[in-house]
Amino acid sequence: MTKYLLRRILHGLVSVIIVVAIVMVLIYSCLDRQLIFAQDPVYVQLGNNQKTVYQYRKWEDFGYIDYVPYAEWLQTLVASGELTAERAAELSAFGQKASNDSEEVAEYVARFTAYYEGQGYAVTRLDAKLSKKKVAPGGQQQLFAYKDKPLMGRLWNYLTSLVSVDNIHYVQEDVGQRGLTFTLHDPVYGGDTFAPAIIGNGTLHKYLLYTDHHFPFVHQNLVTINLGKSYTVNSGVDVFQSMNAPQGSYVTRVLTYPTGLTENSADDLHSATYSAGSRDASLVNRDRFTDDYTSVVTIKSGLSKVGYSFVIGIIAVFLAYLIGVPLGIVMARKKDKTIDKIGTVYIVFIIAVPSLAYIFLFKAIGYSMGLPTTFNMDSVDWRMYALPIISLALPSVANLMKWLRRYMIDQMNADYVKFARSGGLTEREIFSKHILKNAVIPLVHGIPASVLGSLVGAIITERVYVVPGAGNLLTKAINTYDNGVIVGVTLFYALLSVVSIILGDVLMSLVDPRISFTEKGR
Amino acid sequence: MKVNNYNELVDLSDLSMSEAELFAHVDHNDLESEKITAPRYSYWKSVFRVFFRKRINIVILTLFAIILAFTYIYPLMVDYDPFQNLMDSSAKHLLPGAALNKLGHSIHWILGSGASGQSTFDAVWFGSRISITMAFICAAINMTVGILVGSVWGFSKKFDIFMTEVYNIIGNVPYILFISVLVLIFSAGFWTMVFALTITGWLGIAYFIRTQVIIIRDREYNLASRCLGTPILRIAMKNILPFMTSVIVTLMATEIPSYISYEVFLSYIGMGMSDMSLGRLIYQAENAMLTPGWQFEFWSPVAVASIITVVLYVVGQNLGDASDPRTHM
Repeated sequence: MTKYLLRRILHGLVSVIIVVAIVMVLIYSCLDRQLIFAQDPVYVQLGNNQKTVYQYRKWEDFGYIDYVPYAEWLQTLVASGELTAERAAELSAFGQKASNDSEEVAEYVARFTAYYEGQGYAVTRLDAKLSKKKVAPGGQQQLFAYKDKPLMGRLWNYLTSLVSVDNIHYVQEDVGQRGLTFTLHDPVYGGDTFAPAIIGNGTLHKYLLYTDHHFPFVHQNLVTINLGKSYTVNSGVDVFQSMNAPQGSYVTRVLTYPTGLTENSADDLHSATYSAGSRDASLVNRDRFTDDYTSVVTIKSGLSKVGYSFVIGIIAVFLAYLIGVPLGIVMARKKDKTIDKIGTVYIVFIIAVPSLAYIFLFKAIGYSMGLPTTFNMDSVDWRMYALPIISLALPSVANLMKWLRRYMIDQMNADYVKFARSGGLTEREIFSKHILKNAVIPLVHGIPASVLGSLVGAIITERVYVVPGAGNLLTKAINTYDNGVIVGVTLFYALLSVVSIILGDVLMSLVDPRISFTEKGR
Repeated sequence: MKVNNYNELVDLSDLSMSEAELFAHVDHNDLESEKITAPRYSYWKSVFRVFFRKRINIVILTLFAIILAFTYIYPLMVDYDPFQNLMDSSAKHLLPGAALNKLGHSIHWILGSGASGQSTFDAVWFGSRISITMAFICAAINMTVGILVGSVWGFSKKFDIFMTEVYNIIGNVPYILFISVLVLIFSAGFWTMVFALTITGWLGIAYFIRTQVIIIRDREYNLASRCLGTPILRIAMKNILPFMTSVIVTLMATEIPSYISYEVFLSYIGMGMSDMSLGRLIYQAENAMLTPGWQFEFWSPVAVASIITVVLYVVGQNLGDASDPRTHM
């Protein structure tokens, strides 16, 4: 069994990787890159060479290409110690035309060209655009190298950076003594109360392990999952983060910063990450922090996107099974009676009518009953959950009824049922003890999928009721060409679906001992 | 045997045949006795006999005919200009009663007028022409490809391993992504939509057919047929495909309405086509739903879309039931 499962999981992971590759081909190679500028207000205003450079810079931000301007290459030479900063500044002033370059600059330009062309880049030099002997607006000379990212390299980079483990050599700058310290008294709580924590220096996160009052009480920052940086949806934030970060209004409380400053603030000191030179750069940081671990997230009152989707989804799934299973049994028992006919009409309604139509119908009915039709994160009114949950649950009720009825009726003519009946069992016993047990097996297979599926969220329901859930993430990302988010969300969906199918098989074999995945049994 | 009812006895004189003719000796004929005489059986005739035995089917079919007439014939007869009342602000967002009074008592205004003063009734039927045509074309393409690929998929073991892998992978690429990428590469037109819905849509049908084929493939009659040397293609076409007619019709009954629903869904999330299909009408009238007095613009396309899908579904399901030979008794 374990061996079989391991093989299934490996197989699933390979499929997931291929899915990610297909999605990467679709969005990076098939789509017209020019599309991202369609709604860009900056792009319209720029002209001449500046517009071209802006294009390439944006394409790098969206992950299409590697783009290196000449000046940036000089900076890398400065970093490697070959040039001084002043010298680099002198060299970066290349002429309006190639013939105008001074000898030294020409030498470096030639080196730049040779270096990047050797690596498969295309080097472009745009001469200055002049109008009336002066440089036209945005017409400054430009020199840069660019290369399309190859699919394999992109895939490899993406997959290897999926999980990152924080280490004490993360920070490149000099931060003094690198290392991890274990303390039983977390300084965030004043240093007196018992609260174990591991604090790092030289790591990305300051707190690698800490405790607080929220479930699951012990938290870690050691291992982070990176599904891909968002560019437009939630600028600069990782997809995983934007799916899991709390939303809503700030929760402020009295907070003592490392410098001893006490203030009403929503900052979460446990989330501090390193940001080079940030303490010296701002007075605000200098007043509060004693080191460069200044970048903190704030505590908010609401749940995360996935949180809202999951709360609504899981209650809906639970309700659906609670209502759908008994109704399905009743329909099968009273086959061709009134209750079966009413149930069938309902099933036809849900299957045939577009989902949009019945969700709006539920919304209109709910509205006339006085239920809130829009979701508000800051509201404490629990009734706002009612309509989204109902809209999600009722269709799955129909689905469960349909299949359970079908499976039970198929079982009703089986020999074991006739045998049980001839043995004198009551109809009730036959249905609940014999037929049901055999009929629910295919339904059991779907339970993990519906539970994990509620993490993904429902597109229409969340849109109709303005729920800040995860369902709209993909459509939003597609509409704003946020390639990082598209890839990240697809990976998340694909992983969930692979896992839920495997879990379904496992659950099915637990429920029905006749189903076995060991190869010897067959 | 005792005859209870003497009325059933036949008077010989009624047959207008002479006694010698009636009791003439007939020789035994070996050739004739080999012939099996049964009433001529036509499969499709029995299908329709069973189908029309149910009264409800006649009602639904009539409804279906009316919908088709409104979808395909009505737009040919009327001249619909969505912008004819564009400048007349008092003609916009009217309820049926007000529209009939203001714009004249004609069939155009029985559902009121929309945001640019257009007739909701006309808009709905012009929209449903696009939606239904798309659903039929998509279903035709997907079903044809799906059934062909699915039957090969069910027969060939090597192809099965390959296709199952493809199915698992393609199934995990979000459908919306495929569609939106295609819509962005081409334009958001009718044929792009058809292309987007068919490029991977056949896979699900093929998988379904594959499972059905695997179930029937190894039945005894097929084994016998193979032992007698019937080529695989003939087995697929003559032995298996007829067996699956009811399954295919039932599948079609769920497929056609599902394309209409899917088109409505895509339009709603802003990825639909640019033509004024039913989905796009719903999408554009969404704001009207909660505005008192404007609801007709929103609920009319929703209701018509629902009626169309329900009718298509019920017709298909009942036809599927009727095409199952076990119901022909």
